[in-house]
Amino acid sequence: MTGFDWDTLAVFLTRRYDDILELAGEHLTVVLISVGIALIIGVAVGLLVWDKPITRSVSISTAAVMLTIPSLALLALLSPLLGLGWGPSVVALVFYSLLPIVRNTVVGLREVPVPILESARGVGMGRVRVLFTMQLPIAWPIILAGVRTAVQLTVGIAAIAAYVAGPGLGQYIFKGLSSLGSKNALNYALTGTVSVVILALLLDAAFLIIARYTISRGLK
Amino acid sequence: MSVVESETVALNTVGGGPRNQGSRAWPAIRRFMPVLVVAVVLFATWLWVSSLQLDSIEQRTLNADYIVSRIQEHLVLTVTASILVAVLAIPAGIAATRSRSRMFTATVVGIANVGQATPAIGVVILLAIVWQTGFTTALVSLVAYSFLPVLRNTMAGLEQVDSTIVESARGMGMTPGQVLRRVELPLASPVILAGLRTALVFAVGVATVATFINAGGLGDMIINGLKLQRFPVLLVGAVLVAAIAVLIDWLAGLVEEMVRPRGM
Amino acid sequence: MTEPTSAGPFSTVNGAVGIELENVSKIYPGQTGTAVESFSMSINPGELVMLVGPSGCGKTTTMKMINRIIEPSSGSIRIGGNDVLSLDPNQLRRHIGYVIQQIGLFPHLTIEENIATVPRLLGWSKKKTADRVEELLITVQLDPGIFAKRYPRQLSGGQQQRVGVARALAADPPVMLMDEPFGATDPITREKLQAEFLRLQSEIGKTIIFVTHDFEEAIKLGDRIAVLGERSRIEQFDTPSNILSAPANDYVSSFIGQGASLKRLALIPVAEARLGQASGDASGARVDIAGTLRDALDLLVLTGGSSIDVSEGERVVGSISHTAISEALGAAPLAGARQAE
Repeated sequence: MTGFDWDTLAVFLTRRYDDILELAGEHLTVVLISVGIALIIGVAVGLLVWDKPITRSVSISTAAVMLTIPSLALLALLSPLLGLGWGPSVVALVFYSLLPIVRNTVVGLREVPVPILESARGVGMGRVRVLFTMQLPIAWPIILAGVRTAVQLTVGIAAIAAYVAGPGLGQYIFKGLSSLGSKNALNYALTGTVSVVILALLLDAAFLIIARYTISRGLK
Repeated sequence: MSVVESETVALNTVGGGPRNQGSRAWPAIRRFMPVLVVAVVLFATWLWVSSLQLDSIEQRTLNADYIVSRIQEHLVLTVTASILVAVLAIPAGIAATRSRSRMFTATVVGIANVGQATPAIGVVILLAIVWQTGFTTALVSLVAYSFLPVLRNTMAGLEQVDSTIVESARGMGMTPGQVLRRVELPLASPVILAGLRTALVFAVGVATVATFINAGGLGDMIINGLKLQRFPVLLVGAVLVAAIAVLIDWLAGLVEEMVRPRGM
Repeated sequence: MTEPTSAGPFSTVNGAVGIELENVSKIYPGQTGTAVESFSMSINPGELVMLVGPSGCGKTTTMKMINRIIEPSSGSIRIGGNDVLSLDPNQLRRHIGYVIQQIGLFPHLTIEENIATVPRLLGWSKKKTADRVEELLITVQLDPGIFAKRYPRQLSGGQQQRVGVARALAADPPVMLMDEPFGATDPITREKLQAEFLRLQSEIGKTIIFVTHDFEEAIKLGDRIAVLGERSRIEQFDTPSNILSAPANDYVSSFIGQGASLKRLALIPVAEARLGQASGDASGARVDIAGTLRDALDLLVLTGGSSIDVSEGERVVGSISHTAISEALGAAPLAGARQAE
């Protein structure tokens, strides 16, 4: 059992302040890059399948099955192919982000009320115009909620990616494990874990701001 | 003209015109698809591994005894944790919604949100550092980690029950306990079960990282494979754990459908 | 700056266009039988035609084939002599106002942006669009200062429906299609919207096809009414007073329901009746000559007398009796009753 006291933690934090910030920056970057890629792929898939019953259900159930695969298993499978570090981390995070984004895009597009679509056609808008000026903006709050879920999910999974030398705060968590028994083990693991929580909460708060500026006031 | 025609057909489908004539076999195919895919992947893995010349390190892990006991460890951990979670989190969720204190409910939801933001690997490793390594620690962290989705879904499930239905049940003279057992819980059951299913899948994943704290399971194979650069070992471990996750999710989905009250 | 004329692809008669439907049918794929069978109708420029019938009779389908929201299976539709089926459907729809019961305002756009939809599609200048939006908001009696920047969900049902009408009128289309536009509003709002709509139509004189299942509404608003049976079959197509006085068959009678005469009285102005001598009683009840026979009868019943005075402004111009009302009902000119109003 390792003891804990505030003083050693304070010393630990002051000494490694820069290091922690850098890891947090990496963690943020890998999450944003991955969710960004997943957003592009996910919305594109959503746009392609939302009105085709069979492809729609195939894509959503495939993404749902993908999400159940334990992240350590996927990361391990990817590392022989993509090596260690950023490569497998980004691919795995994109992989897990797809379900919430695809599903919410499909739900959002489908939930646009029929009378609105009929009115849009009734004033002489073509299919593509209806999709981009009506359906996507109206579905955006739901798509954004999917992105938010994806971000929460990937912040946690990125911590495990540190095992395959992925970037971010997970490195501190694993350093805690590998130095089990030493006086700094707890400080490493605690700092890593709490920083991930703080990062997740800050990102969640950022979504409130994004929602404020990107969702039409008429939809709130 | 053809573009316009298809446009009209799409609108008609939405507007209650002719229904889409999808294949009748489709629901059955969709239902068994995950099992089929898992079977094919497992078979392919087995074929591939059988064709290899295994060295002594690989032989030590790639044999039936070793694999079966890892699977056992993994399943025992997962299932025990899930049962504990069901027993603890569902009553807690019911209690939280019965509480008249808004503060209490808000606190529970707040803790649940922070909990969701906590990385599983962090919980597992922290517990191991401050307490001990091994099965019990893994079990406790699994329960702690899966507790939240079930708690939240129980609360959400009970809260989404139409208040007019509860009111008419009360109006017929049911006691609060009867309303809960006969009306609210059955109506909330799909959401509660969805929470349990999520917890179960979580547990399979978290049980994988239990290997880091010497709690066994299929994570052992993955980590050994990585450390010792033995790709076949890694692959078998990863494929098996993925297969278990998919199958457990699939089974839970079946149960969910069977238990769902008729008419919902 | 080349801006399309309001009539767009249609040729107009004094700014209005006629509509011809010839043997128009609709068969939905995968369904047996036709939804609309061989529908033919000729609508004059500036006329307000009501399509009335029970739900599921195909009246909405018939209307929606005119702007090709539903594509006809066969037959021809001409607006201002131009074949609708040969035009690009999106271009076509930009020149046909379209109002539906659910209104279908775009929730993510402001009222201003909703109304500006078609002018923007047509590439109007910003200035012209803004002026038009303001003008229309005033026309439908919504203060631009208050409503322009609001979102649909901030408006009441009645206000939303007015915006729906304003949006349909935005590019001054010669033709309007209205599908139970007032169906979802409460009775008081509906009455108000109907009155406003009549006033508006007297100013703008569009060619309008208006679908409703409410026969009262049809009588109140229509220049002519088409009573439709199954598969949109025309049971009778005539002026409201003609339909009320001479229903073509039992189906139409049953659709009119009880009190056809009373309904007709509301269509005939007092001036149509034979007026008798004024009573000379300055304090007696009076009905205005611009009122309807129904108003006169109402007063007669209320006062219990055999006749009441008819006034034109302050001046008493004669009196009207039960007998005169009955005669007027029997001898009312079959056509043109509404024009005389």
